[in-house]
Amino acid sequence: MNKTKVLVVDDGVEFASTLAERLQLRGYDATAVYCAEDTFAAVKSEPPDVILLDLKMPGMSGIEILMTVRTFAPDIYVILLTGHMDIEKEIEGIRLDNFDYIMKPVDIKELTVKIDKAAEKRKLGRE
Amino acid sequence: MGHKDEERLLSSHLSFIGKTLSVFTHEVKNHLAILKESVGLIGDLVEMGKISSKEEISETLKIIQSIDNQIGKTSWFCSRLNRFGHRMDNLLSTFNVNEAIEDLSELLNRLANQKRITFQRDFDEDIPPIYSSPAQFQLLVFRIVEKNLQRIDQGGAIVFKTGYTKDSITIDIIPEGNLIEFNEEVIRNDDICEHIVKRLGGDISSAAGDGKVAITLPLSYPASSGDIRQTVTPK
Repeated sequence: MNKTKVLVVDDGVEFASTLAERLQLRGYDATAVYCAEDTFAAVKSEPPDVILLDLKMPGMSGIEILMTVRTFAPDIYVILLTGHMDIEKEIEGIRLDNFDYIMKPVDIKELTVKIDKAAEKRKLGRE
Repeated sequence: MGHKDEERLLSSHLSFIGKTLSVFTHEVKNHLAILKESVGLIGDLVEMGKISSKEEISETLKIIQSIDNQIGKTSWFCSRLNRFGHRMDNLLSTFNVNEAIEDLSELLNRLANQKRITFQRDFDEDIPPIYSSPAQFQLLVFRIVEKNLQRIDQGGAIVFKTGYTKDSITIDIIPEGNLIEFNEEVIRNDDICEHIVKRLGGDISSAAGDGKVAITLPLSYPASSGDIRQTVTPK
């Protein structure tokens, strides 16, 4: 069985790399990138099943990164990582499919449940 | 200053505190997220029996060291907020403007970082302390920084330059980089900034051309400004 590919995107290098390592230990094919440009390159070269994307990134917000990724990879599932309590306000008026979010600090069990659900949906969408 | 102006000043101050707290808590949540992942990783390694070789033990010690560093960073950041809060304890006190600017810029770093704008300091280290309102001084600096964050393009900077003369101190706030929406009147016409500066017995001006805002404050709060402790009683 193929491993679920997860791309962790967060400008906090320590956070993103540690989270990717913990996901690898749980059997996911996880890698981390730390800026918008590397996210686009990674998605184009090896599209992941799920992107874990920080909502607040320097220069380009998580929502802007998400919208850009969707222009060339429309079916990738995205889970937004956010420290903001008012996530609903942040995404107000934006139509988002294949989308979920999780609050920081992250509960790894809750996160893996969301990743597995997302990967399952993506698989069903392909069939 | 009329009752309406006082109300506007109060609401502006509350908004400033609210924004600063939301940036601060977001930053702290990020620090906690790193701590949680690092602790979680050690837990994973122990649970999966992956700490036995010399190399694995060494890797684990590195993670523990990183946790220690992260606690240090979080504690340092909390002490900035603590000082920010304490500056409001007394409406008038003796304080160092370099420290007040430094505390504020550290708390607002994330806001600037999101626009890839940096804060730079060109402080006169010998600047004397002033007797004034630190809370209103920080509100004044915040309003000017907030406007500059809106008009400086990505990659720019905001420079804080301080200096002093015999009976006053000077603070220049200088935008550097590409100014998206350049209108020097924007600061001059900010009546809240004007009210604060007047109340503190100082002067504010914005230079033509480079968008620099220059503030001059007296070393001591002027008696002619009346009692700053008068507060607005909501009707």
